[in-house]
Amino acid sequence: MTELIEFKLPELGENISQGDLVRLMVEPGATVNAGQSVMELETDKAVVEVPSSVSGTVQEIRVKEGEKIKVGQVIFTVDGAETKAEAAGQGQTATPASAVKETPAAAVSQQKPKPAPAVPAPAPSVAPPSAPSSAPSGSSEFKLPELGENISQGDLVRLMVSAGTKVSEGQPVMELETDKAVVEVPSSVSGVVKEIKVKEGEKIKVGQVIFTLESAAPAEPSRPRSAPVEHVSGQHGARLAFQAAIRAEGKTEEQALPPDQPQQPIPAFSMPAQLEKVAGTEHRQPVPAAPHVRRLAREVGVDIYEVKGSGPGGRISEDDVKAYAKSLVTAAATAQATPQAGHFRQPQLPDFAKWGKVERVSMRGVRRKTAEHLSEAWNTIPHVTQHDRADITELEQLRARFAPKAEEAGGKMTVTAIALKVCAAALKVFPQFNASIDIEKEEIVYKQYINIGVAADTDRGLLVPVIRDVDKKNIVELAVELSGLSKKARDKKLTPSDMEGGTFTITNLGGIGGIGFTPIVNFPEVAILGISRSRMEPEWIQGKDGGKFEPRLILPLSLSYDHRLIDGADAARFLRWIAEAFEQPFLLSVQG
Amino acid sequence: MSDSTNLNIAVIGGGPGGYAAAFLAADLGMTVTLIDPELNPGGVCLYRGCIPSKALLHVAKLLEESHQAKDWGIEFAAPKVDLVRLRSFKENIVKKLTGGLGVLSKQRKVRYVQGHAAFENSTRLRVAKNDGTEESLSFDRIIIATGSRPAVVPTLKLDTPRMMDSTGGLNLEDIPGTLLVVGGGYIGLELGSVYAALGTRVTVVEMLSGLLPGADRDLVLPLHKRLEKMFDSILLNTTVASVKDEGNGIRATLKAQDGSAQEKVFDRVLVSVGRKPNSEIPGLEKTRVRVGQRGFIQVNKQLQTDDPAVYAIGDVVGEPMLAHKASHEGRTAVEAIAGHKVAFEPHAIPAVVFTDPEVAWCGLTETQAQKENREIKVAKFPWAASGRAITLDRPEGMTKLIFDPHTERVLGVGIVGVGAGEMIAEGVLAIEMAAVATDIALSIHPHPTLSETVMESAEVFFGTSTHIYRPKRG
Repeated sequence: MTELIEFKLPELGENISQGDLVRLMVEPGATVNAGQSVMELETDKAVVEVPSSVSGTVQEIRVKEGEKIKVGQVIFTVDGAETKAEAAGQGQTATPASAVKETPAAAVSQQKPKPAPAVPAPAPSVAPPSAPSSAPSGSSEFKLPELGENISQGDLVRLMVSAGTKVSEGQPVMELETDKAVVEVPSSVSGVVKEIKVKEGEKIKVGQVIFTLESAAPAEPSRPRSAPVEHVSGQHGARLAFQAAIRAEGKTEEQALPPDQPQQPIPAFSMPAQLEKVAGTEHRQPVPAAPHVRRLAREVGVDIYEVKGSGPGGRISEDDVKAYAKSLVTAAATAQATPQAGHFRQPQLPDFAKWGKVERVSMRGVRRKTAEHLSEAWNTIPHVTQHDRADITELEQLRARFAPKAEEAGGKMTVTAIALKVCAAALKVFPQFNASIDIEKEEIVYKQYINIGVAADTDRGLLVPVIRDVDKKNIVELAVELSGLSKKARDKKLTPSDMEGGTFTITNLGGIGGIGFTPIVNFPEVAILGISRSRMEPEWIQGKDGGKFEPRLILPLSLSYDHRLIDGADAARFLRWIAEAFEQPFLLSVQG
Repeated sequence: MSDSTNLNIAVIGGGPGGYAAAFLAADLGMTVTLIDPELNPGGVCLYRGCIPSKALLHVAKLLEESHQAKDWGIEFAAPKVDLVRLRSFKENIVKKLTGGLGVLSKQRKVRYVQGHAAFENSTRLRVAKNDGTEESLSFDRIIIATGSRPAVVPTLKLDTPRMMDSTGGLNLEDIPGTLLVVGGGYIGLELGSVYAALGTRVTVVEMLSGLLPGADRDLVLPLHKRLEKMFDSILLNTTVASVKDEGNGIRATLKAQDGSAQEKVFDRVLVSVGRKPNSEIPGLEKTRVRVGQRGFIQVNKQLQTDDPAVYAIGDVVGEPMLAHKASHEGRTAVEAIAGHKVAFEPHAIPAVVFTDPEVAWCGLTETQAQKENREIKVAKFPWAASGRAITLDRPEGMTKLIFDPHTERVLGVGIVGVGAGEMIAEGVLAIEMAAVATDIALSIHPHPTLSETVMESAEVFFGTSTHIYRPKRG
């Protein structure tokens, strides 16, 4: 028989009743042993590693990173088949996980770690909604998890599963377009998809149910049709009302309905009692507006529920709707008057098909995001591009020499990795390049941190993962992190938080070619460094006895900047500083 | 994009929803094919529902009044019922109306195909015609309006004409000595009333604790009292455990909620336990149309199914299964197809039970307000204070308005009494127009009519009804 044992947060010390879960070191399926560290908890006093007091295979995680956890709260459950159950001697009683009904309660004891977990078991806390059980349960749901700070919703670009699809935890199930990026959202549940609750193109909120899962095994065979999953809430409501009515009469539905017609609950009477039950009508109270006024609102694209009525009882007249529509138009016009041409308004397109066959492809996703973002940047920022060249002949030798070190650490010592370090140093010297303009407040925002984005070319389009605190990391560390982020970008694993908070951007097209280009500043940053392909060029080297041409490795650099904040001379100095730092890496230690 | 008026559309089902849709589509310039197995459009409503039952109820009312006339000094001899002529009266009405629809359909150049449709895909139908031939037709849009049919309870299934559903009941093959009506909903009570008036001893069995579940109890009470006199018995909280064909009758075991059971033999049994949507359309699985658990086709507010080329309206998309709801949905669907910005979002759908007295209501009910914990103010006007009701010798009626106490807006109307079905339309208009109590109280209603009770109910709201004295409270 399988027994479930709960691991609860043990007493951590005097006056410590809770902590923030910084990191969880186990996942479902992992084997834990008593005494093994399973999580990092930040309390008022310190960050501590908490050892497990139980052994077994982790079944279900009941907490999430970032959550506040109280002493006694269930962290996870383990399948305790292999543990020696010493019977109920020592106090901690495992209550069955609420989602695993078929498993009877088991009283077990644990080998105790240092702090005695002598807390009596409280009722099992309800699992957070976004971490549903992966154990077979009646039916489970996958809800849109938290995506990052200030992201509460997104547009569903693509759904990668349908009813009947098998999903496993971690498998990407949809592409969501948020304000910040298009992200793939992995499933937090495993099982067979039963019903999809959303549609492509829909706006989806954090916490909204995306799909439900088929149960692996029927949870309770005695409940064959008391819980219908019907999409239209009105009909569902009617059905529930019907069931409630029968129950109120002290009957079961089986008594009320013939048993061999599973799909045919017959309400005794099918007249409408109220409108909410009508197919297609939402549960909104009737709005005080006559039918023709409601129709007018729909025609002009106004939500009648937003209109304030001027008549008795708040009755909305035709004029109220028109006035409201007008106010909307005016508001929209004022909004458009401000320079915000981000939403591409362009002249009418010709009919391309007149001249030959065309194919139209949806511009959703990264491409649209890029288009919007870049036209916004282009329209907002007066761009100037400064070009320079850096002699990296010496640097190249150093790079080759130290490449194995980076390799060992799991990274690649690339020009970009070095450029990161160089730029971080330059930004410290020229802080106006690490700033943003707040036009509304007429202020310049100087950032006291240096986070540099690196443009990555992926098969989905341009993505810009950000490396944080570049100035505090050495080149090997940067190389490792850069490799990691590049891989994440290619594997579509980048999260919005991986792409936000940048203060400067580097874009390196050297891998492809080119002798220079004019990158567009990644708004709201104020400068971007473009790197082209380095190549051997004859350089005039001045010596004591005259001079001569020597073959030198030259790296072309292009710096685009926001001319509102940065003067041309400053840009020239900044770029020269960078070029010199490439030429004489020593400068980094002297000035950087 | 093609002009929406050039669309070629099909409507499957010629009931009040289907033909309303087909006719409007034709009026908007679309090419329309209407598919139905009957000779003419009409559907259940005209052939074996609303219309024939109302014809019989009209007769039933006459019979009842002829009895009551004794109190007014007029005595008639016992009526002689000529069933053949009664049936033909009813059938002629049906023929006249459906024939008229056939003409209207031709005038509009709607192609009427007599047969059954099956989906080949979202825009292609295979029609098995009544004449034995088959035809495969292509359309831009298809509207499903297949309606509903009487629900069947397997335990109440016997292969004998004594066992009837509403269709059998309307056929009026004979006047049985005794009739068991299973289900105290509107169909059972209407047909039960017809048979009772013709002389049958009627027993009604209802599983729930009251007749007409869903309606406010104060509206049902006067009807219940009158039916108690008309019917042999009304058994609430009772189910029919089993039925047995005994050749000369059907033996039914009636089981009460307290466990007690009784057996009785009836000449006929009428099963009226609700209706079931006709969503089992062949080939529907070849489209993206989604059918919910109770068999209703799932649609949005434009009556569009999950398949963008397929719309569905009427009983097959959900409750209330009423002809007037279906027609409104049918017209909405066609307007949506034509590209108009419309939605099915009525504030009130009237429900009428054509018994005697009639019961009608629309909008919010008291029951629903209670369930939602919604603050309301109810104003009732008893017909005992109505001159017109007294002249009819029918003072048992009542008119009730349900208001929002803050805005004084009418949210619901309920009426019980003779002619309630005609009167409820004013309630629907009041709710849709967002009328407030003052609007109704200040609109002059003709005297002496029952419609005055609506105006006076609004006056009751202010405590100033002419015909009701209410002493002022402290």
